[in-house]
Amino acid sequence: MRLRIQKAMLVFRKDWREVSRNWQVILPIVVIPFMFSVLLPVLLVLIPSLAATPGTSLGGFETMIQNLPKHVQDELAGMTDQQVMVYIMSLYFFAPFFLIIPLMASSVIASDSFAGEKERKTIEALLATPISDSELFLGKILVSFIPSMMVTVVSFIIYSTVVDLFSFAIFNGRLLLPNLVWILLIFGLAPTVALASIGLTVMISAKVKGFREAQQISVILLIPILALVFGQVTGAIIFGPVVVTALIGFFAIIDLAVFKIGVKLFKREEILSKLA
Amino acid sequence: MSSVETNGLTRRFGSLMAVDHLSFEVKEGEVFGLLGPNGAGKTTTVRMLACLISPSEGSARVGGYDIGRDSLKVRQIVGILTENPSLYERLTAYENMDFFAEAYGLSDVQEKRNRIRELLEFFELWKRRNDKVATFSKGMKQKLAIARALVHKPPILFLDEPTAGLDPESSKGIRDLMERLSQREKHTILLCTHHLEDAEKLCSRVMIINRGKSVIVGSPDELRDKIAGQPVLQVTLKKLNQKIIEAVKELKQVKEVDVDDSASRLIITLDDVKSATPEVVRSIVYAGGMVLSVNALRPSLEETYLKLVKEE
Repeated sequence: MRLRIQKAMLVFRKDWREVSRNWQVILPIVVIPFMFSVLLPVLLVLIPSLAATPGTSLGGFETMIQNLPKHVQDELAGMTDQQVMVYIMSLYFFAPFFLIIPLMASSVIASDSFAGEKERKTIEALLATPISDSELFLGKILVSFIPSMMVTVVSFIIYSTVVDLFSFAIFNGRLLLPNLVWILLIFGLAPTVALASIGLTVMISAKVKGFREAQQISVILLIPILALVFGQVTGAIIFGPVVVTALIGFFAIIDLAVFKIGVKLFKREEILSKLA
Repeated sequence: MSSVETNGLTRRFGSLMAVDHLSFEVKEGEVFGLLGPNGAGKTTTVRMLACLISPSEGSARVGGYDIGRDSLKVRQIVGILTENPSLYERLTAYENMDFFAEAYGLSDVQEKRNRIRELLEFFELWKRRNDKVATFSKGMKQKLAIARALVHKPPILFLDEPTAGLDPESSKGIRDLMERLSQREKHTILLCTHHLEDAEKLCSRVMIINRGKSVIVGSPDELRDKIAGQPVLQVTLKKLNQKIIEAVKELKQVKEVDVDDSASRLIITLDDVKSATPEVVRSIVYAGGMVLSVNALRPSLEETYLKLVKEE
């Protein structure tokens, strides 16, 4: 049977109305991105770099800088240590955190998708409607995906503004963001990574009995993304345009596979059987 | 024509046999009751018929569609009141109705608004339409859940325990509403209940199920006749004495006489109450008895039901 997008959007609208009226869900969605996009960069990089005198040591970042590929090393040529630190931290160190933002923002909603309906005993009437399995599954994915991506894009705009405010002063009027890598990251890699994670979390949510169980299991999904963060910090993986494009392609294939497998494994007849 | 037809419908949960080869038929326009104690298999049966869980064995057709092959079509023509009201408490009454109206395919905005308004007015909830469901009483939630089940004008309705947990006044309100529904909108209704009053007042036929198995099917009157036999004759006298009792016992149509001295009452079991009543009354009068009242008593459906469930 063909997938009717308007039915999936109907599930999305209904769920979003519910979610937007629940402060326990909204609060982490707003607070966590704020921490990553404003608080951490300002506290960890920008203020210390402004406070430091020219000639400040790069300290622990020496290793990371040494491991950078040649084209990045070339970008750093002629910069002061202070400028190198702000440049590397702002453009490379914080990049993978923007993959964590959509994951963390979506985790609560995605875990709640089916498990929450089971707990609140609303699932039976929903499953009784003539909305198909794939439409239900897609609707539940969208209600996690759309808000988390909106939060990510807004965080990116705020982060870019904060970084540019500082870089304007430090780089004598130069604005560092947005650049190609970050645009690919925010509009290509973040959505594809988020979709894979949300798809898997919704699948888990449909299988387990309660929200807490779903959330605990879904935390495991953060591990591969944390590996990317550490890879970037240690200089093992550097987010250049080629790497990011390759990762987008890789996660797009994962997304398709997750959706297909998710729909196949999502059997509404099993959800109530397990609760019975 | 049958609206619902099941053939050996069975559902197991591990080693538990929840529904055991159930076969029955619900005719178009009929109010059919599934009556049984808690855990008898009523909800599981309805869930299978509404394509919410799949049967382990057997088959069923709802509105002519097979529940296995045409599950989306079955869902389209069925309205279901689930065991729990299953309402979104953070949404308003109108938002709940709006979601389900669209989910069931009411895409024309004006038609949808009219239908929601008609139902909320019918269930006396229109004034509270913009209030969150979390603020509603249990009775109001139940009414809203029934309104939701009707939003797409389904020809077949499955109502699972519509009066469960309600106070007597709300229960009566829901019963009256169901009566109006079956008479006014001519729905085929499959009613699951363990409230005998619901079954007795609303259903044209009742199937008593216990431990997943069908015990008996028939109209409430037929069930009473089949299980508890013929009615008994209850004669209340001004004063009861041994001479009267002996006179009654001597009659050949009389099978058994129970005496209630405190109420000066005789409860007489007869082969045929209708034809034997004049003879019984005459013998009492000849024996000097002064008759205050004569009633042919049928056992209540409750007595019948309890007897059956106990035997099982």
